[in-house]
Amino acid sequence: MTVTVKLFGMLKAQLHTEPELTVQLDQGCRVEDLIAAIQSMNPDVGDLLLKRKILVSVNHEIAHGDTELTSSDEIALLPPFSGGSDTPGGMPFDVYR
Amino acid sequence: MSTVDTEAMLVRVQRENFSIDEEIDRVRNRSTRIGGIATFLGTARDRSEDRDVSRITFEYYEGMAQKKLREIRDRALQDFDVIEVLILHRYGEIDIGENIVLIVVGAMHRADAFKACKWCIDELKQITPIWKCEQTPDGQVWVEQHP
Repeated sequence: MTVTVKLFGMLKAQLHTEPELTVQLDQGCRVEDLIAAIQSMNPDVGDLLLKRKILVSVNHEIAHGDTELTSSDEIALLPPFSGGSDTPGGMPFDVYR
Repeated sequence: MSTVDTEAMLVRVQRENFSIDEEIDRVRNRSTRIGGIATFLGTARDRSEDRDVSRITFEYYEGMAQKKLREIRDRALQDFDVIEVLILHRYGEIDIGENIVLIVVGAMHRADAFKACKWCIDELKQITPIWKCEQTPDGQVWVEQHP
């Protein structure tokens, strides 16, 4: 099946695509399979997904590795939100244009 | 205006600037029991992480951002002794000094309004899919984890 993954913020530049990514997956795949597919496309982004620096949402809720996917799901990769901490912290990467 | 329309006005993500007075009145007019209104207004500053910033652009996830803001309002109304909560966030390009985000909380007493207002803005920054890109002399920088 084909799933479409929405991208936001720094990820569009990181994956050199916008605003969506199309990924081929087997029927009955889970979020962890999507992460593996993305890791093969871009290991840096895949590592950030594995470390949960980038989250996956399915139908507007944060998903976990065992969440099953269907082709009608609305899937998105969510880089760190702009205000995720009370203290300034390091960024996984900056994107300069 | 129906209840649904009214509630939609109390949680918004919009490009346009807003009037703080009008938004406070929107909360004030919800109940004559309100005796204290606390507000938080976030504005665009020209300095970040030791870099000059000339402009900020906000991107958001349409649908999920509004859903998370509605959840924050609902939880604030449920968990704090407050009467009304308004949450408003802008997106798009925002010049230095302009309004970004507004929280308005009406309660019978100020202590509850202050507490709920702080909780709302802290929670917004934690769970709402909104991203900030700062224009700096070195180029554009996507920002995470800001106080």
